[in-house]
Amino acid sequence: MMDETFEIEAAALAQVLDELDYFQILKIGQGANPNDIKSAYYRESRAYHPDRFYQLPNLVLKDSIGRIYKRINEAYVCLRDDVKRTKYLADVSGPERQRKLRFVEASEQEMKKDKEQEIGTTPQGRKFFMAGLSDMAAQRFSAAERNFKMALTYEPNNPNYKSKRDEAGKLIKNDMTIR
Amino acid sequence: MAEGEIAIGIDLGTSYSCVSIIESGQPVVIPNEWGERTHASVVSFLEDGTVLVGNSAKRNIITNADNTVYSAKRLIGRFFFSDEVKKAQAVMPYKIIEGENNSVRIQIRENVYSLPEISALVLKEMKSIVENYLGHEVKKAVVTVPAYFNDNQRQATKDAGRIAGLEVLRILNEPTAAALAYGFGKDITQKIAVYDLGGGTFDISVLEIGKDVFEVLSTAGDTYLGGDDFDDRIMTWLADDFLKKNGIDLRLNKYCLQMLKEASERAKIDVGRDAVAKIRVEGICQDPTGKVMDLEATLTEAEFNRMVMDLVQRTFKVCDEALQSARMTAADLDAIILVGGPTRLPIIRTSVKHYFQKEPMAGIDPDEVVAMGAAIQAGSLMEAKSDHYLLDVTPLTLRVGTVGGYTDKIIEKNTPIPIERSKAYTTNRDGQDKVKIRIYQGESNKAAECELLGEFEFSGFRIAYRGEVRIEVTFEIDTNGIVHVTAADVETGQKTTTTIRLSSGLTEEMIRAAQAKTAATQLARGAAA
Repeated sequence: MMDETFEIEAAALAQVLDELDYFQILKIGQGANPNDIKSAYYRESRAYHPDRFYQLPNLVLKDSIGRIYKRINEAYVCLRDDVKRTKYLADVSGPERQRKLRFVEASEQEMKKDKEQEIGTTPQGRKFFMAGLSDMAAQRFSAAERNFKMALTYEPNNPNYKSKRDEAGKLIKNDMTIR
Repeated sequence: MAEGEIAIGIDLGTSYSCVSIIESGQPVVIPNEWGERTHASVVSFLEDGTVLVGNSAKRNIITNADNTVYSAKRLIGRFFFSDEVKKAQAVMPYKIIEGENNSVRIQIRENVYSLPEISALVLKEMKSIVENYLGHEVKKAVVTVPAYFNDNQRQATKDAGRIAGLEVLRILNEPTAAALAYGFGKDITQKIAVYDLGGGTFDISVLEIGKDVFEVLSTAGDTYLGGDDFDDRIMTWLADDFLKKNGIDLRLNKYCLQMLKEASERAKIDVGRDAVAKIRVEGICQDPTGKVMDLEATLTEAEFNRMVMDLVQRTFKVCDEALQSARMTAADLDAIILVGGPTRLPIIRTSVKHYFQKEPMAGIDPDEVVAMGAAIQAGSLMEAKSDHYLLDVTPLTLRVGTVGGYTDKIIEKNTPIPIERSKAYTTNRDGQDKVKIRIYQGESNKAAECELLGEFEFSGFRIAYRGEVRIEVTFEIDTNGIVHVTAADVETGQKTTTTIRLSSGLTEEMIRAAQAKTAATQLARGAAA
């Protein structure tokens, strides 16, 4: 049966759940290796798996344990994946730690938006932008600048177009000083 | 736990079902009074209002075709407009009609049944087999489903349990149940794959098992692929041959079709066991002059293997997917477990051996292992303390509909469950008093290519200018793999009212009515099949 210490511990953990990062949830250091992460996950599953408390009459405590276990799974999903873990570690080590305790991947829509922002949302804008990029690669900076400016007439607010136009502009300037 | 109170484990299969309980710490399959250990998932409605379930009902597929329902699992939790339902309408002798909210109903004489009600009758039979054996009532069960079942199918199966008068302690994935039965009581640390080819579905799960931990690393499947499809191939071969020789298409008559289907299933089993099947159906039809005709054919193993090779190959595409998700290769696995009747076929055993480069585990009964795993899980949920932990995953990516027919990922497939994820939404119009979202499961970002789970409408939040109200929607997948959606006003924390619209499921009211109807239904005792 469940002992009192565990009961107190679980109730306390549920209280502070939203202030802990995933390393703290799994009770491991930030340098833990994949094996450490897996054994920590198994250890915490042994303690908090809801099946163990299936017949628990105290519904408040049962709900707390459920919340803790969902967070344990969430932590494991993030930390077992190297890419997610690297990003997460940077997130929680930064100034926005409090806001980033729970890992959220950029959504497909946002990623699509970013991608569109990059190469453009209008067919003509994209056409001139791509032409500009190949001019840049061929070091035809004036032609590149013209193409980026044309792209901007279709998408005046595209930040990527602006920065490429400025970049081409600077390179033209450099060119002239050399000559 | 009350004295003597037990929970049973039920494998509710497409073609056959099986029930098990824990006795002296070990799972045992409970036979019916005729000694049968597996029972056809067939429900036959008799003229006098009683209902026959199991192997004796199966014989009625031919004699009482219109009133005998089989393969209901292929239809459970599906929308009326789905391809599977259209296909079933063409081949099933019983009448499939449309119910409210695009749901599927079965019409038997003047009565209309939902799919959960049909499955409930199979579950009721499993329940009464154990009750006969023990001499007292049982009220609790763990019911298994294919790992690849979506939320609609899981919810409908859970409803079926409730309608049968059972408290469903858990909806458990079939391959996970099989792994549990395999590893139970053994002190082993292994990576295993469970290859589960049933009557109507295929699942593959990759697990890591330890002394007390069963961790599902990945699962993949195809809910449109099973032993039935093998039968269909034989059926097409027989019918085409008969058409060529006699100019009569046996498929045009539902009575002939059922005889053909039965002969095909028998031929599949015979060819698997004896490497050749002699097929003979006397009086399958009459020619235009009224002369009674017989069907005769010989099916060799080589011929059969040629017919089904592409189906077998399809299972390995799914295996590739599961191994990739688990970041493993076949060589990393320590053991392969075969589950489901069709895995008795030599073509499956040799192909599996070839694919995994390993002999599948011997000594595991592919028809009974899932029910035994369910019984183990049922037993451990009844105890105050469990000595093993199932760490299972959600098989499909949970998505929310966005503009233009697209969807956005909320919870990725193969994420351990239970899990939750929240997402904030805001109002688009001044004074907006409702927010609607549609949720889906599937692997495409296009809504049309995913399975719609339902539309949720949230109301009861503050009314303000557009963009001022932020509503946090929480998506949860519970230990049954069932999805729950709730919402709250971010600023006030006030929970909003959630209305589920557009769902294929049953309402509480419908479930209660069905419970009464099912409780009143008398199960007939047929003779041994």
